[in-house]
Amino acid sequence: MKRLTTSARVLQVLVACLIAGFPALICNAHGSVTPDADICIIQIGYFKAHFKIFLPQKRQHEEFCEDLPDIGDSVFVMEYEHDGLGEAQIDFRIIENLTGQGRFTNLQHIGQIEDLNAITVYHHPFAVQPDVFTIAHNFDEPGEFVGIVTVRPADSEVNYTAVFPFEAGYTGLGYWPWIIGVLILLQLNYLWMSGRLDMLRNLFVVVLMCATSTFVQAADEVDAWKSRAGHFRVSYTSELQPLVINRIHNWMLHIVDENGDPVTGATISVQGGMPAHDHGLPTAPRMTQELENGGYLLEGMRFHMRGQWQIEISIDAGGNRDVVIIPLNL
Amino acid sequence: MRRRLLNLLVLLLIAVAAYFAWVYRPVSPEPWSDDDKAVLQSMWIGSLPPLPVDPSNAVANDAEAAIMGNRLFFDTRMSANGEVSCATCHLPDLEFTDGLQKGRGIGVSKRNTRSIVGAAYSPWSYWDGRRDSLWSQALSPLEDANEHGSNRMHVARFVTTEATYREIYEALFGPAPDFSDESRFPAAAAPVADPDLAHAWASMNDVDRKTVNRVYSNIGKAIAAFERTVLPERTRFDAYVDAVLDDDEQEQSALFSKDEILGLQLFIGEARCTECHNGPLLTNHEFHNTAILAIPGDVPDRGRIDGVREVLENEFNCLGEYSDDPVRQCPELTYVRTGPELIGATRTPSLRNLARTSPYMHKGQIETLTEVLEHYNRAPDAMIGHNEATPLGLTRPQLNRLEAFLQTLAAPSAR
Repeated sequence: MKRLTTSARVLQVLVACLIAGFPALICNAHGSVTPDADICIIQIGYFKAHFKIFLPQKRQHEEFCEDLPDIGDSVFVMEYEHDGLGEAQIDFRIIENLTGQGRFTNLQHIGQIEDLNAITVYHHPFAVQPDVFTIAHNFDEPGEFVGIVTVRPADSEVNYTAVFPFEAGYTGLGYWPWIIGVLILLQLNYLWMSGRLDMLRNLFVVVLMCATSTFVQAADEVDAWKSRAGHFRVSYTSELQPLVINRIHNWMLHIVDENGDPVTGATISVQGGMPAHDHGLPTAPRMTQELENGGYLLEGMRFHMRGQWQIEISIDAGGNRDVVIIPLNL
Repeated sequence: MRRRLLNLLVLLLIAVAAYFAWVYRPVSPEPWSDDDKAVLQSMWIGSLPPLPVDPSNAVANDAEAAIMGNRLFFDTRMSANGEVSCATCHLPDLEFTDGLQKGRGIGVSKRNTRSIVGAAYSPWSYWDGRRDSLWSQALSPLEDANEHGSNRMHVARFVTTEATYREIYEALFGPAPDFSDESRFPAAAAPVADPDLAHAWASMNDVDRKTVNRVYSNIGKAIAAFERTVLPERTRFDAYVDAVLDDDEQEQSALFSKDEILGLQLFIGEARCTECHNGPLLTNHEFHNTAILAIPGDVPDRGRIDGVREVLENEFNCLGEYSDDPVRQCPELTYVRTGPELIGATRTPSLRNLARTSPYMHKGQIETLTEVLEHYNRAPDAMIGHNEATPLGLTRPQLNRLEAFLQTLAAPSAR
């Protein structure tokens, strides 16, 4: 009885340590950059972006959030979570942190600096970078720095600024990552020994197997696919016979309603991809022509891998909107 | 107590030994199934279809145009310093690559030089697909300040005045325009970043600019006609597939070692290479982000996401006025797609003759095949966008076998 309570207490301490130590150690974020799940987010006004820093030569693919354990070539990346950032002018500046405020440096402290240019080590003046923002800077010497990101949205005169103090060549973590690593292992070991990990994994495998088997069955047995809400049934013929990869070609769709009557005047859009590979179609196919008798011409189809594809056809006809998913195994 | 510890240690040693014995265990290749044979046949050079038509280039299959293109390809006189030709970076001995991380003409170019062997089969040119035909591709190095450093006015004037070129040019494309009036046609002019060239180009009238563009595009079309004749050769791998399709087991074991067969089985199976490296050229000509690191001092390459914008705006694309396609069908360009998946994505290269095309990747980041395979085995997170590949978990002996197989994709001799 006594042993049990001791081990329970140890476990409590472990969990508490994990909870307390984890975000701070993994991300080490301050200022406008905050950890969110396993990534770091920079908040600039109402804009958000996934923020990460790389030291590609020294730390390869390892991702950092502000504090850098090494100096040298670094790459700062902001992956926009808000489309507006891709059209906005963005100014990115790194200055030496002489405010004396360390990691508590904020916008006010920056505002009090008389000559920003004198202590600037890197400056990327206002420019639009669509899709993703990247800059490269070489830190010659270790030190304390502040990053200043200013965003001017398209058609706007208002600037939004985010500030994040950080250190480069910072190794202040000491043995903590090791200790945390050991704690995680202990925790995993506990979960494993108690069988919880296995249970979860088995459940996952069963669900996956069920899902694939119904999927494969559906693909094999039908040649017309029913839409989600049941408004339409769709079949197709490929102009390319047999259907091979890497060739652009057209499809003929045939759409009927619940009663089996051809559907005319439908608006159709196409999407799709390979769910297992997390990517879409290599082209953007379109319905270009309505043919006779519920037929529609779909141009620009191409598949670039063998495997399980899914074609999603959205149909809007006679006041009904519905989606058909056609599985396709190449 | 001590005894127990010793027991534990011995047990641990046995476990480690067992692990290594398992990893390095001798394996024998499985016989090829009918499905496997179909996959092998699809990768075999005998499955290479006839050259795809290029309606945007009226002289694509013209033998005279190919002769003219061949000469232009090796001619240094079009470059700014008279020393750079297409063959400066596309060396026939190295499968039309240059063995360098990044191409070197007048300066250092933006990316690694791609091979042009079988390039006619791809709907796109360049790592980011910023051109949609061989002829439009051939025009951009000429005006790239780091490559030929030339300008279209100079190139058009040179080809239409040099006696041998002029004769073939007129036979192919009709009478060459007269560029002798320097008040209308300056010595050098092009719509490029260089302010002098750009200013000279802007000062020309619209009709004259189009005349120059027409001649310039025709020069690209002749070079493309030559490049279309550069095709892959049979390799030991192709001979092996012949033997597999003939069920000639003796020939099979004469051609491929056990490791090479095992490597090929991994290639089409567990290592998942054929997801992108498929078909007889071992490429799907598509764009994928595989998390290659940025080179020192540079930001990660944005790849296809920028390439797709550029190809749509390019004046020499299939839909543009210099395309010879009367109906402007251009399905690849018309149904081209974009989206965040294309951030950091670059075009899958062919694996044929890859032993002679090192260093690898879009900026020549990786020197050896061993490192390439290790990279795909790890499949780390991408610096920008997301890595489409997932870790493979292959063992060291498996990676060695894969590499042994990849070496069989080399043609017997240099061109």
